[in-house]
Amino acid sequence: MTYHKAKKVVIIAEKMLSEKICRIIDASGARGYTVVPAGGRGAHHKHYTSERASVVDDFATVRIEVVVNNKTTAEEIGNQVVEQCFDKYSGIVYLEDVEVLRPGKFGGK
Amino acid sequence: MDFLADFFIRFLVQFQSPTLGFLIGGMLIAALGSKLKIPNPIYQFVVFMLLMKIGLNGGIEIREANLFAMALPAFFSILIGLAIVRVGIAIFGLLPGVNSADGFATAGLFGAVSASTLAVAIVMLEEEAIAFEAWAPALYPFMDIPALILAIVMANIHMKKEENGGGEVDVNVWGIVKESLRGSALSALLLGLALGLFTNSGSVLESFYEPLFRGFLSILMLIMGMEAYDRIKELRSVAHWYAIYAGFAPLLHGLIAFGLGYIAHLLVGFSPGGVIILSVIASSNSDISGPPTLRAGIPSANPSSYIGASTSVGTPVAIAVAIPLFIALAQIVFDI
Repeated sequence: MTYHKAKKVVIIAEKMLSEKICRIIDASGARGYTVVPAGGRGAHHKHYTSERASVVDDFATVRIEVVVNNKTTAEEIGNQVVEQCFDKYSGIVYLEDVEVLRPGKFGGK
Repeated sequence: MDFLADFFIRFLVQFQSPTLGFLIGGMLIAALGSKLKIPNPIYQFVVFMLLMKIGLNGGIEIREANLFAMALPAFFSILIGLAIVRVGIAIFGLLPGVNSADGFATAGLFGAVSASTLAVAIVMLEEEAIAFEAWAPALYPFMDIPALILAIVMANIHMKKEENGGGEVDVNVWGIVKESLRGSALSALLLGLALGLFTNSGSVLESFYEPLFRGFLSILMLIMGMEAYDRIKELRSVAHWYAIYAGFAPLLHGLIAFGLGYIAHLLVGFSPGGVIILSVIASSNSDISGPPTLRAGIPSANPSSYIGASTSVGTPVAIAVAIPLFIALAQIVFDI
């Protein structure tokens, strides 16, 4: 089997933004994404993971990962997320090079 | 003087109540750095259990209630929610060093209602054997939703003015109503009301929800105490005015509600227990559904200021001071 080069976009944001971010990803032509609960420390305050009750659950953070076949789509997702979500809320976006099997499973315009 | 002495005795007795004991215990173990953790799913389940019980109980008893008598207290609830936000915004406008967005959000949060404070009030009224209308807990959304909408609308008008000197303000009011009604606490309460009203849910209430209510409330209080201590650290990094406001505002808001509740008592026979519930929901500040709604509606406000003020100061004051205060006040005013 051959591995193909692809791009992974990683977005760490407040949980309440995840719906909006997933809509951006869907619109980009990507074929799917993964959302996992995150936790740790950011510029503003400590974010807890689900191991501990937090009265305000929506301020917990999530890590959203999406793999696409080309750099342009990846960059476009990142740009859209920053423009639409991170003007008022905090969060980070970064790209990673990955190698994937079955490139047909990953979209991208 | 009698009133003061009476209040003081009641106040001391409340500190022995298990409910308050668990709240203080939670703060204590958090302060001591305990590794005890109560996972988030349990917290959410506990909130569901409490609100479902309150809803079922209300729904079953509403069948025989005169709903017409609810109209005036419901109208007063809307009025109180709006008044709290207006007064809060006016107060924060006068204070130096307060970011205006933070002020709007804090006022909105204190106008909104806390499900856990409501649950504690119901337990304490049952302990004191003070009767209240079964529909009184259903006043919750009448105060909660208008307060959140007003705070978000006023904040957005203010921001627009600062940016470009006015113009159209685009606030999705229906979106806020939907978000509030879909919130975990309110949807459990409303579902419980509907189930109590339309199904024969008496047996499940008596055999399951009722016996577990107090135990679950003690767990909720423990979580609230731990969270209160953790949030104090955040509150330290913002203006001290939030802590001062959070200390006195619950009592002021409760007194406004007590006055209006008394008028409803005279006009439509609103019960003394109902007046206490109205005062307690006015003095409470939202801890579950309000913060995310405000975060979405007023993104420029710093959550540390409003959640810190509410969770670490406002809620403990509402539970530990406001509830015994209004029970004592009602016992003297209504002679019960």
